Amino acid sequence: MIRSALVLTVASSLALAGCVQTRQFADVEFAPPQGDFSLLVMRPYVSVGQIQTGGLVEPRAEWTEQARGFILEALRQQQAARGGRTQVLETREGVQGMSSDEVAEVERLFAAVGNAIVIHRYAGLTLPTKRRQGLDWTLGEDAVRLGQATGMDYALFLNAQDSYASTGRIALQVLGIAGCLVGFCAPQIGGGSQQGYASLVDLRTGEVVWFNVLQAQSGDIRTREGAAQMVDRLIGRMRAGRNVRNRDND
Amino acid sequence: MDDALPLTRRMMLAGLGCACCTGLLGVGEAHARIRPRDMESLIGPGYRPTAADERGMWQEYERVEQEIAGSNLLVTDPNLVSYLKSIVSRVGGVAAQDLRIYLARVPEFNAFMAPTGFMVIFTGLLTRMRDEAQLATVIAHEAGHFLRRHHIRRWRDVRRRTDLFAIFAMGAGVGGAGAGVYLGDAVRLAQLGTILTLAAYGRELEAEADAMSVRQMAETGYDPNAAPEVWRQLIQETEASAEMRRRRPRRGYSLLASHPAPETRMADLRASAAEVRTGRESWDRGRERYLNSLGTHRKMLLDDQVKLNDPGASLFIVNNLASDGWNGLLRFYEAEAIRLRGRREDRDLSAASYAQAVTFPDAPPEAWRMHGYALIQAGRREEGKTALARYLALAPNAPDAAMVRYSIQQ
Repeated sequence: MIRSALVLTVASSLALAGCVQTRQFADVEFAPPQGDFSLLVMRPYVSVGQIQTGGLVEPRAEWTEQARGFILEALRQQQAARGGRTQVLETREGVQGMSSDEVAEVERLFAAVGNAIVIHRYAGLTLPTKRRQGLDWTLGEDAVRLGQATGMDYALFLNAQDSYASTGRIALQVLGIAGCLVGFCAPQIGGGSQQGYASLVDLRTGEVVWFNVLQAQSGDIRTREGAAQMVDRLIGRMRAGRNVRNRDND
Repeated sequence: MDDALPLTRRMMLAGLGCACCTGLLGVGEAHARIRPRDMESLIGPGYRPTAADERGMWQEYERVEQEIAGSNLLVTDPNLVSYLKSIVSRVGGVAAQDLRIYLARVPEFNAFMAPTGFMVIFTGLLTRMRDEAQLATVIAHEAGHFLRRHHIRRWRDVRRRTDLFAIFAMGAGVGGAGAGVYLGDAVRLAQLGTILTLAAYGRELEAEADAMSVRQMAETGYDPNAAPEVWRQLIQETEASAEMRRRRPRRGYSLLASHPAPETRMADLRASAAEVRTGRESWDRGRERYLNSLGTHRKMLLDDQVKLNDPGASLFIVNNLASDGWNGLLRFYEAEAIRLRGRREDRDLSAASYAQAVTFPDAPPEAWRMHGYALIQAGRREEGKTALARYLALAPNAPDAAMVRYSIQQ
């Protein structure tokens, strides 16, 4: 719930002119994982809902299950194409050598740190001490221990939400636009939209090396293609950190 | 029992924010008490949702339960938890075997029920309850939300009203523009009407849960009078807290309130309790069982309460518990609440309470320490040092033992 609040904050902070918007930050030394690497996906959260006529978003279990399956499938394929091995942590009990409480600690720590990243990177409250420094946050020893227990190189935190307008909502949108003809224009009736974020933590150092937020007005993660599209928008276009880019340019 | 429907409420607010909302006037709420006998359970044992909206809600809450079950705020003492479970299975009606209970260490009077059948109760409830029957009334109230399917009924109500408002507002806009009439005022009125009726429906469901709790209490032999008592205590505590701060008590009632006013609830519960309290001679209060099960946790509960810096409430709570008889623990926390209040006369007043506390065999070691320092401050050095020595004897490994030893040597 913390995470969905977080995404809402981010979504509202992004000025939405276009249809698809992502904004990513990386550690200055971040190089997107390539070759032989392993990725642990931390209890990914996916939620798909239907927008009611009045604007409420009603979660739909079938859509969510379907979308979750497609997203994880797309993620596995995408990472495999880069040489990565993906393991999905479905429950907190799934880590050998670490209790579920310890895994919960890492998750809660990420929730807190992620929140700070959103506030200071996305919501405009820039910290003077972190200006022009790239992403500079860490989960510290807890994350390193998770890496040692699992033998994984990176942890991926993933949150994907999607919603679709009900028939009533669509009718309302049509009416709002049609009203322009008689002088009552209401073209801003919101339809379906996607929000999500993804963040990569380097489990060898504990540092949050990459963070991305997505906001889109198109796409359908209930389908295999739509889910692959969202995974591509969220994770497929990782940019290296500033120092790495500068060195590449030299 | 500010029974939060946290997710639902936020989603609802988000919905209201973006869609504006609806109107079906008819706000004038004729208050009528809901009778316990009308409160049949709306579900059977092992209930699982089938409708799409309810299944979606359950799926979201399954994740919430994972979060709560793994929370580091939980009190996990197996004895205490199994005691709470035994109360749940007694008053949980047909859902007795399906309900889960979590105890969160939050020193507030509150509890909430989730649509999937888990409830969270705050330690602040255990601080305030005088016996098992009082605690059971809160647990039965929360179980009532589940038995009467309140979450999904509320969600559907909100959805229907916000849908209707959106249609009305759009119709008024487009229709009004077409006919050349301005209907903006009507839309705003409808919006207000929607908000008020939504709140009224929430209060109606709370009243249902209250009636359900009285029914479950009577059916399982708990004294139904415990229900109005809990509200009387809460009202008095709120007043005591406000008076100490020289503020007017918050009445907690308005047309927008999610819960009925405590006074209304108390009156209704009193009438309901009288209705079901027939045909039985003796009713179970479970005071001994309750105190035994709290065991040493009661010290932690009172400690958390006193540190809230709400001396009016803390003193009311201690005195209310002491209406069943004073003991060393209650006297000690009375003294602590007075000392922390920090008025001019409170040094002497708390010193007197510490002195009384140590006359009880169950006085906590800290009572001897505080008593000792109070005596030294009053110039009775030798007696004070004896009391401090007693503290060290009772708590040789106390974190401040070295400092107290130093005080004795002075």
